[in-house]
Amino acid sequence: MAKYIEKISNALKIVKHNGGIVGTYLGLYRRDDFKWGTFVGEDKYGNKYYKNDYFFMGKSRWVEYPLSVGHDYDASQIPSEWHRWLQYIADEPPTQLPLPHRPWMADHTENFSGTSREYVPYSTTRPKVEAWVPPKK
Amino acid sequence: MLRLWPLRQISRLQNAISLTQQACNKSSVPAPSPELVEVFVDDKQVFVEPGTTVLQACAAAGVEIPRFCYHDRLSIAGNCRMCLVEVERSAKPVASCAMPVMKGMKVKTDSPVTRKAREGVMEFLLVNHPLDCPICDQGGECDLQDQSMAFGSDRSRFTDNAFTGKRAVEDKNIGPLIKTIMTRCIHCTRCIRFASEIAGVEDLGTSGRGTEMQVGTYVEKMFKSEMSGNVIDLCPVGALTSKPYAFTARPWENRRIESVDVMDAVGSNIVVCMRSNEVMRILPRLNEDINEEWISDKTRFAYDGLKRQRLTTPFVRSGTGELVPADWESAFVKIAERVNATDGDLIAGVAGGQVDAEALIALKDMLNRLGSESVCTEEKFPMTNSGIDFRSNYIMNTTISGIEESDLILLVGTNPRLEAPLVNARIRKTWINSDLCVTVLGAPVDLSYDYQYLGDSFELLTDILNDKHPLAKGLKEASKPMIILGSAVLQGENSGAILDTVKSLSEKLRAGSEQEDWKVFNVLHTQANQVGALDLGYAPGVDAMKGSKPSVLFLLGADAGTVKREDLYENALVVYIGHHGDYGAQIADVVLPAAAYTEKDAVYVNTEGRAQIGRQAVSPPGMARQDWKIIRALSEMLGVTLPYDKLSDVRARLGEVSPTFNHAGQVEDAGFFNLSDSATVPRKESRPAVQPLSPALLSLRDFYMTDPISRASLTMAKCVQAVDDAEKNPYSKPEQS
Repeated sequence: MAKYIEKISNALKIVKHNGGIVGTYLGLYRRDDFKWGTFVGEDKYGNKYYKNDYFFMGKSRWVEYPLSVGHDYDASQIPSEWHRWLQYIADEPPTQLPLPHRPWMADHTENFSGTSREYVPYSTTRPKVEAWVPPKK
Repeated sequence: MLRLWPLRQISRLQNAISLTQQACNKSSVPAPSPELVEVFVDDKQVFVEPGTTVLQACAAAGVEIPRFCYHDRLSIAGNCRMCLVEVERSAKPVASCAMPVMKGMKVKTDSPVTRKAREGVMEFLLVNHPLDCPICDQGGECDLQDQSMAFGSDRSRFTDNAFTGKRAVEDKNIGPLIKTIMTRCIHCTRCIRFASEIAGVEDLGTSGRGTEMQVGTYVEKMFKSEMSGNVIDLCPVGALTSKPYAFTARPWENRRIESVDVMDAVGSNIVVCMRSNEVMRILPRLNEDINEEWISDKTRFAYDGLKRQRLTTPFVRSGTGELVPADWESAFVKIAERVNATDGDLIAGVAGGQVDAEALIALKDMLNRLGSESVCTEEKFPMTNSGIDFRSNYIMNTTISGIEESDLILLVGTNPRLEAPLVNARIRKTWINSDLCVTVLGAPVDLSYDYQYLGDSFELLTDILNDKHPLAKGLKEASKPMIILGSAVLQGENSGAILDTVKSLSEKLRAGSEQEDWKVFNVLHTQANQVGALDLGYAPGVDAMKGSKPSVLFLLGADAGTVKREDLYENALVVYIGHHGDYGAQIADVVLPAAAYTEKDAVYVNTEGRAQIGRQAVSPPGMARQDWKIIRALSEMLGVTLPYDKLSDVRARLGEVSPTFNHAGQVEDAGFFNLSDSATVPRKESRPAVQPLSPALLSLRDFYMTDPISRASLTMAKCVQAVDDAEKNPYSKPEQS
């Protein structure tokens, strides 16, 4: 019996976490999962980080991407300091233990592969065939 | 008589003797074939001609003797000692390459004595040879490497690395084509013998002796020969390697594609070495009938022109008069709009000399279907009398190998040394080995052999025809006279008179000759596929086309600059189909990028009338396509779809037009000699003004850049530069001119 009570109570927590039945349903589209947890922090890109030790390790910390990115979210949108926490490299989230910021550290960018801003390497070898350039008048 | 130094002096003397005597100076009747000699090679009995060497006898028995200095086509030097074999009842091992066979000789090619001799020779060679195989360009095709693996010892007694070290020799600078690393030289003297015997330039030689011996040019100067590149193939080690090919590829990485050269009308057989879709180098391919195993420097080294100034995308001339890159469709649409609004007889086509037969027939078929009969080649040929109606009038009837049978050659307005170096090499070979007498009407150029210079006026030719010249008697008495008419002199005005006179003279000689099937008349073309174009029914020369003021002109690889904008209808549309951004592309309104000769399977007909297939080695660059495919696609846009979709269909069509194309590799003989001769009537009325019978190419400088590919080649430009510098070099002997 207690088993069923726990299920129902978890279901209520999920609904509460997602802000209602509709939110739970819509969240399923983006996360493919039902989860509830405590809010840990938010980075400057609007990613929200949660934890719940009820789930076993590997599922106990997660990110909810901002609605602004729609379905175009991917793991490269997580900045490195949050990646550290999210992947269990550190116990403390950057909100508790901010990492030192060195002047040479570049700002985080997501992976632009497959977009118009993707990085395309260029060849430094000479072309095998030099094309003719018509003389300008 | 072997006319080599010092025997050359004798031949000079002989030339002082009068012409007629020389022409009558025939070789005696061949000696009756003597008994064969019995030789035992490793106890295997073989019968060989007397006078063959032990090495050849061993080859006949299927045993290959290692050798460095011996080469089939060069005189025997016998100085490398690698071919030592044991001969029974001989105190010492004998050098088999220089030893003639004797009756009952017993040769042991694998005995302990032979092996020890080889190991000893190899050890001595390696003592004086650097261990730089890993950085040597000969690696993989090095005779020394191979033979030391097969016949050498497994160790060396050379230990004096610290004190005297290995022998070292200063490198020589002998021009932009051949790289020398003289430390690697093993003194086989093949290069020296090639230069003096085959190429006919006495540039190379040895100085010093023993360990101080050096091969070189004595003073720093260029190895000035049009066939100098062949010493790279001859060199058994890495002492002479190709400068442009240096450190670019290893032989085992290359794919070898057998093809045909288009730099001159000889149609030399070549091997194109390809790696990663790039032509790495070009080597000769053995063909006894054409180029033996040599190729000219232009054939060998102009390949870097295939990588520069290439047309890689179609161009369409914009409203502002500039050629802008376009796609195939818009280029085709532009052509179709204009062609569809033009009468058929205002459309014309001009083909260049390097265009393959497939493209030629496709263009001709397309233009014919559009109602145009105006298809011509850039190169002219007189149309007077029988003109090109008979094939015998425009091909080299006796063939290149036929030169070896000839005993008197009259060169009219040609410099074969630069127009067709392999033909010249064949004449020189014949001149050395027989009593061939060469006479020249044209320019007094250096042909690498002695000849009788007659002059350059047309009158001399008529004098010979009318028996007023002493040579007339010589020609009449020669058993197999050859007259080689250069196509360069046929480019000028009134060239018909030259052709008619030479034809009449040849007819006279042929009729008076005892040799029934000896064809006296030969034309030496300079363009690779001119004979193919004439076989397919192209009209030679653009004059007739210019007269009709075409409003749409197709230039198929036509880069000689014979057609100018002024010759065409105002606002005429010029379409250029070709592979290089040369003259044709600059005057064109639409440029269609096509394939060069290494990029297509194509048929070329050489000056003998021999159709040969060149194979595709690499793919055409960028958006370029093969020529006949471009024309086939264009014909569909123009509403006159050509009835062939595959290469085999085009070849079948070629065979329909001319039987030349039905059997590649063989000379298609020209017939109707009597008919074509009777159609030739020498004009007697007014003696036309004919300019001197001078060939176009006079000095080595002119040789290197003659076509779009060689004009785009950096290597060829460096050669021109080097020849110019050599002229200034006080030690360099000026060309005899």
